[in-house]
Amino acid sequence: MADAATDTNTPYAIRTYSPQRLKDALHKMFLIRKFEEGAEDSYTRGLIHGTMHLSIGQEASAVGSCMSLSDEDKITSTHRGHGHCVAKDADLGKMFAEFFGKETGYCKGRGGSMHIADPSRGNLGANGIVGGGLPIAVGAALSAKRLGTGAVTVCFFGDGANNEGAFHESLNMAAVWKLPVVFVCENNRYGMSTSTARSTAVKQIAERAAAYSMPGVTVDGNDFSAVTEAVDAAVARARRGEGPSLVENMTYRWRGHSKSDRNRYRTKEEIAEWMERDPIVAMSKLLVDHKILTEAEVGALEEDAARIIREAIDFAAASPDPKIEEATRDVYTEGAAA
Amino acid sequence: MPIEVIMPKVDMDMAKGKIVTWHVSEGDTVTKGEPLFDIETDKAAMEVEAADSGILHHAVPEGTDVPIGKPVAWLYAEGEEVGDPPAGLAPAEPDAPAVKDDPAPRADAPRPGATRREPDAGEKQRATPRARALARDGGVDIDAIAGTGPRGRVQAGDVAALLDRGPAQLGAATFRAETGPLSVTRSKGGTGTPVVMIHGFASDATSWAPLEAHLKHRPVIRIDLPGHGKSPKLKVASFAALLQEVRRTFDDLNLDQAHLIGHSLGGALALGIADTRARGIASLTLIAPAGLGPDIDGAALSGICRASRAESLGPWLRRLVADEDIITDSYVRLAMAGRSDPNLRAAQSAMADTLFPDGVQAVDLRAALDRLTPPARIIWGKRDAIIPWRHALRAPGRVALHLFDGIGHMPQIECAEEVGVLLRSQI
Amino acid sequence: MNAQTRTEMRELSYAEAIREAMDIALASDDRVILMGEDIGVYGGAFQVTGDLVEKYGTDRVMDTPISELGGAGVAVGAALTGLKPIFEFQFSDFAALAMEQIVNQAAKVRYMLGGSVSVPLVMRFPAGSGTGAAAQHSQSIEAWLGHVPGLKVVQPSTPEDVKGMLLAALEDPDPVMIFEHKILYKMKGHVPEGHYTTPIGKAAIRRAGKDLTIVATSLMVHKALAAAETLGPEGIDVEVIDLRTIRPMDRETVLASVRKTGRLICVYEGVKTLGVGAEISAMVAESDAFDFLDAPIVRLGGAECPIPYNPELEKAVVPQVPDILDAARNLAEGRI
Repeated sequence: MADAATDTNTPYAIRTYSPQRLKDALHKMFLIRKFEEGAEDSYTRGLIHGTMHLSIGQEASAVGSCMSLSDEDKITSTHRGHGHCVAKDADLGKMFAEFFGKETGYCKGRGGSMHIADPSRGNLGANGIVGGGLPIAVGAALSAKRLGTGAVTVCFFGDGANNEGAFHESLNMAAVWKLPVVFVCENNRYGMSTSTARSTAVKQIAERAAAYSMPGVTVDGNDFSAVTEAVDAAVARARRGEGPSLVENMTYRWRGHSKSDRNRYRTKEEIAEWMERDPIVAMSKLLVDHKILTEAEVGALEEDAARIIREAIDFAAASPDPKIEEATRDVYTEGAAA
Repeated sequence: MPIEVIMPKVDMDMAKGKIVTWHVSEGDTVTKGEPLFDIETDKAAMEVEAADSGILHHAVPEGTDVPIGKPVAWLYAEGEEVGDPPAGLAPAEPDAPAVKDDPAPRADAPRPGATRREPDAGEKQRATPRARALARDGGVDIDAIAGTGPRGRVQAGDVAALLDRGPAQLGAATFRAETGPLSVTRSKGGTGTPVVMIHGFASDATSWAPLEAHLKHRPVIRIDLPGHGKSPKLKVASFAALLQEVRRTFDDLNLDQAHLIGHSLGGALALGIADTRARGIASLTLIAPAGLGPDIDGAALSGICRASRAESLGPWLRRLVADEDIITDSYVRLAMAGRSDPNLRAAQSAMADTLFPDGVQAVDLRAALDRLTPPARIIWGKRDAIIPWRHALRAPGRVALHLFDGIGHMPQIECAEEVGVLLRSQI
Repeated sequence: MNAQTRTEMRELSYAEAIREAMDIALASDDRVILMGEDIGVYGGAFQVTGDLVEKYGTDRVMDTPISELGGAGVAVGAALTGLKPIFEFQFSDFAALAMEQIVNQAAKVRYMLGGSVSVPLVMRFPAGSGTGAAAQHSQSIEAWLGHVPGLKVVQPSTPEDVKGMLLAALEDPDPVMIFEHKILYKMKGHVPEGHYTTPIGKAAIRRAGKDLTIVATSLMVHKALAAAETLGPEGIDVEVIDLRTIRPMDRETVLASVRKTGRLICVYEGVKTLGVGAEISAMVAESDAFDFLDAPIVRLGGAECPIPYNPELEKAVVPQVPDILDAARNLAEGRI
């Protein structure tokens, strides 16, 4: 193992993280997969009344990008944000309860799938507006710099957001003010139905970084180690006070954009090809190959994740609904002036 | 698109009416408000005014019976092509409710000559929220208050003033005041010096019809008093104010000479006009005029004003005439139909209270009668139960008296022919 | 007593009063930062921030790029994570570029997250017509934001109030939008020294009267007061209420006045239709004060057009003193 830590032929993640952290990372990836499948199943059973944006296939990007973050560090997330929450150690029961619109949910049933947040873990929340979280992440980084907390903000966004004005304004300001923020683009190739090829002038979104004088790299977003290597470097740079970076994780969502998606813009072959590149299978193989886990232990991790999700769903289903008469609670701070 | 003219429903029992006379010839232009045709039912006869302006075509022949609501003619616009009668169209008011068995007159029944629905006579009283609250708290009926605000709106001050006057004054003397000129209607035809007619209290211009039949050789002009017939319900503070209003209407007629005929209260007004417009008066005819003595049957006046249904109106109407048989039940119902608007009754109550307080004639025109210079005559029934005929004896010698035995307060109806012949010989 | 007398005498302009409030806030709380376009050495488009950058440095008096959406979003993010930003829009009109962050983020984050966070953000909006700046630099858009639960929207009309309300806004855990009429910036008035707050959500009765109530906002308060002075000798005793806050609106002060006078005129510069006056009118109509109305409610608001450039047109499209006089006379004399 000591050799592996210095051998550059050994993947970065294996060299950098302890076996326990790597096991935990795979466990989280299973949790994300099982969460999304559980959400889909619950939706099918009529337990969830809103829509949802599933991130099955993008688990390595979510978990890998958060490996070097502490609870002090912040993330901002997107409408496809369940994985980010899990990666940032969210409570699965509270997540499902929110999904079910229950008072015990993260947002007490007021937010739903697109607004799950956990400020105590540094998760500033998913966002229903494409590009909505970008300036907010820059603001969080501004606070960190101004208050000297040393915290870094990882700003998740999708390929669709890179064409929003907020993206450009945010990258520019972060660079001008040298703020500790890492922009992580999860490029799953489609903004709803519109492919990056049809919507984006540059071939890789990471190329945009040059316009804002920051490093920009593109990595295989389904390769846990590659993601971790790129984001960790960007986080370290931010912590050193050298300013923002842009990391582009190339990945793919197996499911449609949302439950209304009829998948008319992608071929079955394309989807099948990406499913062959399952990030969880790859991560499992990585850990088995490096003798961190046995096949049986991988199976046990998956089983454990499935159990946790079942319990989370049971907790959510048994939780109380919010009171109708409290529908207008929390618009303003209670007892505040005026 | 020509405008349909329908046979109006003017009486509750009426199923059809007969076109007696067209006042406008085929192809001639008629202006809204002008007399268009006369109808006759088994109970009544009346003149129908044009509800729209236009050129008359496809008029049914005189003498034809037409079911109510069916077209009797069509009014065309200038230059509009006139083809076959636009037959087969439904009556203008297909949703007009059947009222055959309805005991009360309906404000929304088609008006004579109406081809489309007019504003509901029962329109809600205009009042501010504060006025309504004051009225509610003070136990006052807001609908019975005359508003002084824009469009007759009752404002807080109106209610407060009423409450200050005390509860005894509430009710009878309050109505929703209106503004605007008095209604003037004219006959078709006739030449020479026109005849101007002023009806009595609680009556209207249509009451002249029997007498007019004998005066067709002259143009006839009728004035509706405030709060009567088609005139607006003006606030009338005194007899002087009423006279001023009617005289202004007379002046606006712009006549060089006129024969003036007034009945009862209209007689007093005619006398008042003659007193100040003597040079324009060719002759003055006063039929059972008010203003020549203090006595009057106040109970009958207030009874007529109060009556809200035929049953209570009938006895008072019968008091107007000597031979009660001429006041038939259907006549009473027709009269009540014309008095179905509570605001009209309230306006008349208020006027009665002003002009005849406590059942006394407050106005004394005997001096005016003495001063009178135009040729004048007084016609009275010697069985008049409303105003004593002996008031006529006050007249100076140059005023002719025509006193009819066995006739009540309405000689122009009770013995229309005799009065008509008398007048025709002199007018 | 002497010190107090001196305080009573002291006059500042509206812009100076804002600057003084921000100076006090910057001096007393490290978490306070100013953000906006050209608020540093330039001193702000209307010289409101003035020389504050010299005193507090560019880290705390931050010139932003011309990026209203991004800048507003940065302020939201900073407010979420421990700072107290005061964000200046150069013109309130430019807030249209930042509506996403104001309406979808700042206003809703607390609610969407079930009350687990708050957004202690202050935004300042130089607003209104009268400067010849035409349609894209003269609007009164306060009603847009007044429609959004989660925001507080104030329109201080005096130097004393704008200082007190800005300091109150900084103590408020929720986002407060301050609309400052540009014509008021040079207006002088008494301003107490030191720190004080003027409550958000509380209207002020600027002139007591018994015949009719005028509820006005911002610059219109002064026009209403001028009209009231003319009407007094005519026997029309006008009560002038400075609404000060349009969200949350001070129901009780308005309703109590209408109960007393029975007549109401709303005067505001924003477009008349679907504006502040509509809300005031509806508030009265829905309340028990309705029973006290003795005439229709009158709204005087901006014309149904953008603000024009020509000075005479510009005056004509927003309520002026003669408009208020006409409305008040018509109302008091029972013509409407």
